[in-house]
Order: sequence, then structure tokens, then C-alpha cells
Amino acid sequence: MKLRAIILISIMAVLDGLLSVWMAQQSYSWFPPQASAEAKLYDQLFSIFVGLGTFIWVGVMVPIFYSLIFHRAAKYDASDGPAIAGSTTLEVIWTLIPVVIVLSLSLVSYRTYDKMGTQGPETLVHLHAPHLMESAYAEPVEREPEEPASVETNPVESVDVTAKQWAWVFHYPEQDVTSTELHLPVDRRVRLVLRSEDVLHGFYVPAFRVKQDVVPNHTIDFEFTPTRTGTYRLRDSMYSGAYFAANQSNVVVQSPQGYQQWLAMAASQTPQPAYNQAADEYSQNNNNVAVRGWKRVVPAPPPVVNYAPRYAEEPESSDDPENHLEG
Amino acid sequence: MTVERAIANQTEARIRQEQAHESAENSKFGFIVFLLSETMIFLGLFAGYITYKTTTTDWYPAGVTGLETREPLMNTIVLVSSSFVIYVAERYLHDRKLWGFRIFLLATMAMGGYFLWGQAVEWRGLTFGFTDGLFGGTFYLLTGFHGLHVLTGILLQSLMLGRSFIPGNYESGMFGVEATSLFWHFVDVIWIVLYTLIYVWQ
Amino acid sequence: MANISLEPTPSISAQPYPGAPDNWRRFFTFSTDHKVIGIQYIVTSFFFFLVGGTFAMIMRGELITPDADLVDRTVYNALFTMHGSVMLFLWTFPVLVGIGNYLVPLMIGARDMAFPRLNAVSFWMIPIVGILMMVSFLVPGGASQSGWWAYPPVSIQNPTGNLINGQFLWLLAVALSGISSIMGAVNFVTTIFKMRAPGMTWFRTPAFVWSVLAAQLIQLYGLPVLTAGAVMLLSDLSFGTSFFAPERGGNPILYQHFFWFYSHPAVYVMVLPAFGMFSEILPVHARKPLFGYRVVAVSSILITLISGVVWVHHMYASATPGWMRMLFMVTTMLVAVPSGIKVFAWVATIWGGKIRLTTPMLFALGGIINWVFAGVTGIFLGSVPIDIHVNNTYFVVGHFHYVLYGVIVFGIFGGIYHWFPKITGRMYYEGLGKLHFVLTFAGTFLIFLPMHPLGLMGMPRRVASYDPEFAYWNVVASLGGFLLGMATLPFILNMVSAWIRGEPAGNNPWRAYGLEWLTSSPPPVENFEEIPTVISPPYGYGQDQPLIATNEHQEATQVP
Ligand code: HEA
Ligand code: HEA
Ligand code: CUA
Ligand SMILES: [Cu+2]
Repeated sequence: MKLRAIILISIMAVLDGLLSVWMAQQSYSWFPPQASAEAKLYDQLFSIFVGLGTFIWVGVMVPIFYSLIFHRAAKYDASDGPAIAGSTTLEVIWTLIPVVIVLSLSLVSYRTYDKMGTQGPETLVHLHAPHLMESAYAEPVEREPEEPASVETNPVESVDVTAKQWAWVFHYPEQDVTSTELHLPVDRRVRLVLRSEDVLHGFYVPAFRVKQDVVPNHTIDFEFTPTRTGTYRLRDSMYSGAYFAANQSNVVVQSPQGYQQWLAMAASQTPQPAYNQAADEYSQNNNNVAVRGWKRVVPAPPPVVNYAPRYAEEPESSDDPENHLEG
Repeated sequence: MTVERAIANQTEARIRQEQAHESAENSKFGFIVFLLSETMIFLGLFAGYITYKTTTTDWYPAGVTGLETREPLMNTIVLVSSSFVIYVAERYLHDRKLWGFRIFLLATMAMGGYFLWGQAVEWRGLTFGFTDGLFGGTFYLLTGFHGLHVLTGILLQSLMLGRSFIPGNYESGMFGVEATSLFWHFVDVIWIVLYTLIYVWQ
Repeated sequence: MANISLEPTPSISAQPYPGAPDNWRRFFTFSTDHKVIGIQYIVTSFFFFLVGGTFAMIMRGELITPDADLVDRTVYNALFTMHGSVMLFLWTFPVLVGIGNYLVPLMIGARDMAFPRLNAVSFWMIPIVGILMMVSFLVPGGASQSGWWAYPPVSIQNPTGNLINGQFLWLLAVALSGISSIMGAVNFVTTIFKMRAPGMTWFRTPAFVWSVLAAQLIQLYGLPVLTAGAVMLLSDLSFGTSFFAPERGGNPILYQHFFWFYSHPAVYVMVLPAFGMFSEILPVHARKPLFGYRVVAVSSILITLISGVVWVHHMYASATPGWMRMLFMVTTMLVAVPSGIKVFAWVATIWGGKIRLTTPMLFALGGIINWVFAGVTGIFLGSVPIDIHVNNTYFVVGHFHYVLYGVIVFGIFGGIYHWFPKITGRMYYEGLGKLHFVLTFAGTFLIFLPMHPLGLMGMPRRVASYDPEFAYWNVVASLGGFLLGMATLPFILNMVSAWIRGEPAGNNPWRAYGLEWLTSSPPPVENFEEIPTVISPPYGYGQDQPLIATNEHQEATQVP
């Protein structure tokens, strides 16, 4: 009896483990393309969590369903089950194991976060309570050895990002180029300087797995490394009012030459008002919905920029953004 | 049957009396729980004040260099001493000396009134308003919110004063007075922290 | 004297039964009977569940296509704001207070709550909160559109410029609901501390009572802090101060701290009573004692403590410094420990029992299955780097609906079925109950599971329109949502018809241990003819131990 139970439990545990490993591998396919160094770290960490999560969930489900199948009361059986009130050994075990698991998860998460190092130096020494903010970021960012050697770790590209209700404007200070589309060179660490003109916004590129709220009156440095050319969606992730959903843009990751060409091309153009979905919808007075709305904050006028993407007249045009390879 | 009914009624009467006693106990317990919870509002506001004060660059509105501390200190002394006065009032009540109780309660109210008056005079003399930056906002919010509590305390005290003239008012205990007094001590302690934060730490 | 109490004193049994349909008018009065108030709470909040659910149905209608074509964006924004607010402040909180109100005095052998009148006042504020929220749709500018967090600066933008606007009414409503909750919490805590029957020591107190206590303690320390933040927000909105207004030098991030300092623990205010109900339901329908009862009871209090120091996990992507993110990551994950203690104890409780799959049992088991899933995704979110990608996406929406609907609403349904015979004296229809469960479980799975892949793909929440790549899972979710909406109908049918003409259930149809089952169904005013003396711990299944002293015992213990 005892032996049978042990064998049964072991078999279940092995099966559960195999299933978890399989799920962990599957998890890589649940994401948009892996387009940054951070995304790579992210997907690995996520996979660990998925494996462990599967193990725990299935591990709890198996005994529950086993009981439901084999420990049902017979129809006219009015008796009680065994009067087992508890077991200190078991209780200690199932307190300690989760403690160990969550501490390990915290540790691996910490290490991944540290490697990502998305919070730029400027954020660390910013105005508020600087004395409190030194510790975690004092150490230099260490890179994975397996990463391509071509990755520049020193942030060379610095772009000013301005969010407002409801537009994204990117400014390249060296060339004095403005754009409503973010162009970045591949395999280069980039540093964005995030600012908001009105309310909270969120800088979010799913393909990069990075996100940072943009806070008015607050300059936030933000770093990451794109590693795959293509066009990706940039979304406002912090709810910002009426046209929040429309406050999106594209990120175009290009080869260094393509990027330089684009900069030069953009610099030669005279600034003109870009297409802006919020302003456009507002001016049309929303005639195309079944239920009309209420008075809202007036969108900022369309930004005046050197460069606005060609296909901007038709919002949400690309079914499959990563196919729009450029440069 | 009737005998049993009589005994039942008796038992019920006894239970009712026990319940009355219990309910006074419960009220006191509940009131303390409530005050602890109320403390959290002030802790929240204090935390906000400290955060603003340590992180804001232009803390004082233009033309303001700080707060006058002399009159507020007088005010503080009066308010803090009134805590002892109300304690004395309570002792008198314990000893069933109603007049002593009333006089000292009246004195407490007068001191509370003096505090509010002093606060009003101070507010009137200030050159900044509620909407003048974070300092103006937090200053009026904290002192105003505390002032409301002082006012509530005084109202409770006048209620207790009035009730002391009802004959037989204290036969079922004096929870009301105890609660009022407790509330007054609470208002006092809050003020001490508030005074330290706003006036001492400039 | 010993034989008096054997037959009920006429004066008590002549009192009207609060649950009897013939005096339904009592439910519209300022009654101070905790049972009447409990039912008032449950029915009122269920009405608002339907209101909030109807909002959700319109939202799912909008989201079934990528474009914003059903309702205007401002209307959509108001809908999700009010959906969240109604579901939390007018459904989940009040319904759990209602269930607690009904059960706690019965379970601890008290005649009523400690402050019956305060109790009634707390309840009657709820309809006012509801009216304020509903009226806000009619004022110029419409209902609040800043999400249930009401983050500034969006929440203080006020495009109409009116003093009375949707956001103002929303703040007023939330403040009122807060006052009601604090009064309720004082009442519960006093009742549980001071009014337990003789012999009911802490470790003879049912796990449900522990969990209600743990939840109400959170209200006491958390709500006042939210109130402080709300007062400051209101004054920014209406009086022109600058606490959170960046253009006037304020700090909007501070509001987030105020908000989550309460609103994170608030999720445990909601889930703890659901846990308590699982802990009551499982032993009855598996006919085994609650495994490790003491540890389960104490783990509720542990959750209360830990939940006070994890709030920053909602702000990982805000302008929080790295050290803060790391610190709160560790504390957040530690919540898994007391939660795990409960889960494993529940599994061990049903293990080897004599399980009966009644409707309450099904809802409890379904709730536990969903809880382990939602808890695991919660741990995902607790990890800073993982949260950075999925924060403010549908992954989070999936996580919290799995808890809010899959655990808490399941728990509420389970609890209502389990105590329905006690509350009404009649039995619900088992077949309809099972139908309700099957539809609800399938609906929950179909609507809330697809939200997870959507979030991983990067679909933000609070959007009326989205990129076409998200269309597939959204269609599935919308259809699942409609199914879940429909699943409510058998429940309503069941409750209404069973209450009117269900089979009489008897006092203890489940043969359950617990003081509430020792009195009649529905219980009389003042609950017990004589306050029982408790002599053994709860959940004495299979032990042949009486729960309370018989009269001889009582005499014996009373004589010194
Ligand atoms: C009652 C509701 C409820 C409950 C109980 C929980 C429980 C948990 N929640 Fe959730 N949560 C919400 C409601 C709830 N949540 C809501 C409403 C939001 C969003 C609000 C908004 O933005 O509008 C939210 C958002 C939210 C976030 C923010 C996400 C974001 O906005 O980016 C995070 C991040 O840490 C989080 C984490 C957790 C964790 C760690 C738990 C833990 O308590 C889970 C613990 C449980 C388990 C882990 C399972 C059982 C344990 C075992 C079987 C033991 C073994 C397990 C391990 C060792 C891991 N939640
Ligand atoms: C307890 C809380 C609770 C509950 C039960 C629910 C239940 C549901 N929720 Fe909600 N939800 C929240 C709390 C809750 N939600 C919160 C806090 C938010 C965040 C808000 C924010 O971002 O600020 C949110 C956000 C939210 C969103 C995201 C919106 C967005 O970000 O854009 C969505 C989208 O699908 C959604 C859907 C649903 C659905 C389909 C249900 C279903 O379970 C509903 C089922 C429907 C019913 C039960 C009603 C059935 C009614 C009928 C069939 C009509 C009959 C009518 C009469 C008889 C009069 N909810
Ligand atoms: Cu710290 Cu801003
Ligand atoms: Cu939380």
C-alpha cells in the first residue's frame, strides 16, 4: 500500500515535470517577435515561471481530481470521513517549500532585471530623494557573454521622447530632426529621454518587452537594445484619457546605414503637420459610432515634424508589422 | 406554567441587564478601534506632508519664509493642558461630584475654544492661501482637518455637559464621557505631532 | 430551572421570522436585525452586479471588433470605469459584508452584531452610493472616465469646467462607501472580539469568522489612507489645490501610493471571506474536519499583515526607483506562502473524504481551481521584469478577473447556495444549481483565459479600439462573456422560485457542524433561545463530539 502510493506519486510528479517543461518551451511562442536584448532575457525568465507555474497548478489539480473521482460518497452512505484534523509535518513542508520557491523566483527576477538595466543613470540621480536611489544601480550593467559582440553597451543614441494627449513626438537632438515615428539603429544601446506635456503616459513596445510610464514634470531616462530590424508597434500603456487607444506609433529598427540615411533624409525635409488620429477623430466629431459621447479634453494640434510615416493616413494599416522591413 | 413563565421573565430581565453592561463595554472597544482607524488618516496626511516637504524645490510660496511659532506655541500649551483638565473632570464624575465635573468640562471647552480662536487668528494673518503651492495646500489641509476634530470634540463636550443635567443619566454607566475624553486626548496627541511637523520642522 | 429552556419561550418564538416571505416588507425598513440587514445587503448588491455586468456586456460588444464603432470612446471609458467601480464598491464589498453580517453572529453564537443601529446606517448608505454612481451618467460631461484608480492628472482634467461633474460624484460615492465600510469594520471587529459565545475561544472560532476578522482589520488600516488621498484629489479637482497636479508643482505619483496602499489590501478584503467560505463548505460536503484548521485560521491574519506592505507592485512601471521595485517584489511573492497553506489544507481536507458534489461544493472546488491559476499569474506579475511587459495589458485584466470572478464570485455563489436553506428555510433546486455552475465555469474560462495571450501579445487594457492582430482572441472572449452573462439567469430563476415555493429544508439539511445550524431555519430574531456554550473546536466530523454543552453541562460549568 505504502509502496504503491510512493510509486504513484513519483509517476505523477515525473509526468507533471515533463508537462511543465513542454509548457515552458511553448511559452516562447506566445509573444510578439523577440526584437531586443531585453526581450531575450524576458522570454527566458518567463519560460521559467511558466514551467514552475504549470508544475504547481497541475500538481494541485491532480490530487483534487483524484479525490473527486475516487473519494466520492456512495449514494446512501451517510457516514463521515476519517477524522484527520491535521499533520504538523505536512504543514511545515508546505510552508517551507513555497518560501524557498518564491525566494528563488525573486532572486532570478532580480538578476534578470539587473541585466536589463532599463532605468538610465539620469533617472537614478533625479530630484526626488536622491540619497535613497543609489544602491541598486551603482554597479555597472553586466552583459550576457552570449550576446552578439557587435552590441554597443555604451548608449550612443539618445532620443528625446515627448508624449502628449494624444501624440508621440521623437526628437533627435544632434540632427535636430523631429518625427512621429521612432527610428532606431539595430544592435545599439539606445537611451530615450521620456517627457510628458500633460498627463501620465506609458512608453511600451511589446516586441522589446519594455515599458515605462512617462510622468509630467519628470524627466525619465530609459535604455534598451533593439536587436532585430523591422517595424514594431509602440503603444501608450498608461491610460491617458479619451483618445488613449489611438495614441500609438511605430518603431522602425534599421541597419546603422539605413538609420543614418533616414536621419539625413529627414533632416532635409521642412517640418509640416503630421497625421494625428486623435485630432482627426475629434475634428470629424465622431459621426461613425452608434452611441455619441460627451465633452472631452481637446487633443493637442497635430505635431509639426520633419518626418511622418508614409502610411500614416490609414491608421492601423499593417496587419503584420514585422513584415514592413526597412533599411 | 405561570411559575415557569415568571422564572423565564426573570431570566430574561437578567440577560437584558447583562446585555446593557456588555453593550457599554462593546461601545468602548468599538470606539477605540474607530480612533485607531482615524489615526491612519492622519498618518496618511503626515506621510504626504513629509514626502512633499522633502522633495519639493519651491516649498514656500513666493514671499513666505516660514511660519510664526510664538502664538501657535501658546495655542499648543493651552490645548495640551486641556487634556489634563478633562481628566480632572472625569475624576470628579467618578467621585459623583457633578459640579466639579461640569466646571472642569466647561474649562476644557473654553481651552478648546481658545485654541480654535487662536487658529482662526493665525489663518487670517497669513499671506498665503489654500491654493498657494504644496505648502499652502498641506498646511491648510492638516490644520483644517485637525481643527474640525477639535470642533467635534467641543461639540461632544457640550453634549456631555447638557446630559449631566438629566437626572439619573449616569446610572447605566458613563461611556459617553469616557469616549469624549478619549477623543480629546486623541486630538491632542495628533496636534503634538502636527505641531512638530509643521512648526518645529521648518 | 433546567427544564425551562427545553421548550421555547413563547415570547421569542412568536417573533416573526425574518426570512419568511410573508413579511418581505421588513426588507424595506430601517431594520436593525443583522439577518434582515444581511439580506438587504445581498439583494441590493446583486442588483448592482447585474448593472455592472450589463456594462461589461456593452464593453464586450465594443471589443468584438477592432474598431471603436459601437460606442464613442468617452462612453467606453466611462463604461469600464463604472464597471470596475460598481463591481467593487457596489457588488463585491457589500455582498461580502452582507454574507458576513448574516453569518458571523450566528456562527459565534451572538444575538446580533455589536452595534445594530450602526449596522443599519452602514447598509442604507449603499443605495445612496449606487444612486450617486448612476446619476453621474446624466450630468454634463458624463460619468467618471478616469478608470477605477482615478489617477491624476486625467482625473482632475474636468473638460466641462463644471463643479458637479462625473468625477466629483464618483469621489463622493467612493467616500460614502468608505465611511460605510469603516463603520461596518468597527462593528465586525467589536462583534468578533467581544461577543463570541461562552467557551468559544479563538481556536474554536470558525475559519470563516477568522477570515472576516482578517478582512475587516484591513479596512480599518487601509481605508483611512485612501480617504486622505481622495480628499486631496477632490480638493485638486474642485478647489484648485496642487497636491497631484503637475502643472502646479504637484506629484501625481504620490496619489498612486495613497491609492494602492489601500486598494491592494482591498483585494484581500474581498478574497479572504471567499476563502473563509471555502473552508466552511469543503468540510461539510466532504465530511472531514478542515485540515490544519489552526494554521488556516492564522494564515488569514498573516495575509492581513503581508498585504499591507506590497502595494508598489501596481506601480513597477511608474516612476518608482529600482530598490523599491525589488523590495516590493519580495514581499509580494511572500503572499504565496499563506495562500499556499490554505490551498494545500483544502486539498488535504477533501482527500479521502466522503465527497458529495452538491452545488456549493462545486462552486467551492471551481473557485479553488481558479484560485491556484490566478495566484500563479499573480506571482508572474509580482516579478518586476515580467510585470514590466504585461503591466497595463490584458494579462493583468485576465489575472484579476480570474480572482474577482473565478474565486470571489464563485465563493459568493457557493456560500449563497450553502446557506440558502438556513436563510430561507427552503432548498434550492439542485439541477438548476448544477446548470448554473457548468455555464459559469465554462464562461469564466472562455472569457478570461484568452485575456492572458492577448496581454502577452501586447494588447493594452482600457482601449475601445485595437490592432487587428488581437481580433481572434477578443472574439472568443466576447462570446465567452455573453455566455457568462447568460449563466446568471439560472441562478436568478433558482433563487426566486426556491425562495417562494422550494421544499422546506429543515434546520440542518447538510448535517453540518456549526452553531448556525443548531438554530431554526430561518433563525428567529435574536438567533438563539439560549446562548449556547461551546465545548469543542469546529469541524468535528467523524469525531462524535458534541459542539455545545447540553443543559446539564452548562449548569455544571456555571456553578463555580
Ligand atoms: C481579490 C483579488 C485579488 C487577489 C487575491 C490577488 C492576488 C495576487 N495578486 Fe493581484 N490583482 C488584483 C486582484 C487580486 N490579486 C486586481 C484587481 C489587480 C489589478 C487592479 C487594476 O490594475 O485595476 C491585480 C493586479 C496585480 C498586480 C499588478 C499588475 C500590474 O498592474 O502590472 C500584481 C503584481 O504583483 C498582482 C499580484 C498578485 C499576487 C502575487 C497575488 C497573490 O495573492 C497570489 C497568491 C496565490 C498563489 C501563489 C496560489 C496558491 C499558492 C500555492 C499553490 C503555493 C505554491 C505557489 C508558489 C510557491 C508560487 N496582482
Ligand atoms: C468583482 C469585480 C468584477 C467582476 C465580477 C467583473 C466581471 C466582468 N468583467 Fe470586469 N473589471 C473589473 C471588475 C470586475 N469585472 C475591474 C475592477 C476592472 C478594471 C476597470 C478599470 O480598468 O478601471 C474590470 C475591467 C474589465 C474589462 C477591461 C476593460 C478595459 O480595460 O478596457 C473587461 C473586458 O472585457 C471586463 C469584462 C468583464 C466581464 C465580461 C465580466 C462578467 O463576469 C460579467 C458577467 C455579466 C453579468 C453577471 C451580468 C449579466 C446581465 C445580464 C445578462 C443582463 C440581465 C439584466 C437584467 C436582468 C436587468 N472587465
Ligand atoms: Cu522618486 Cu520621483
Ligand atoms: Cu495588488
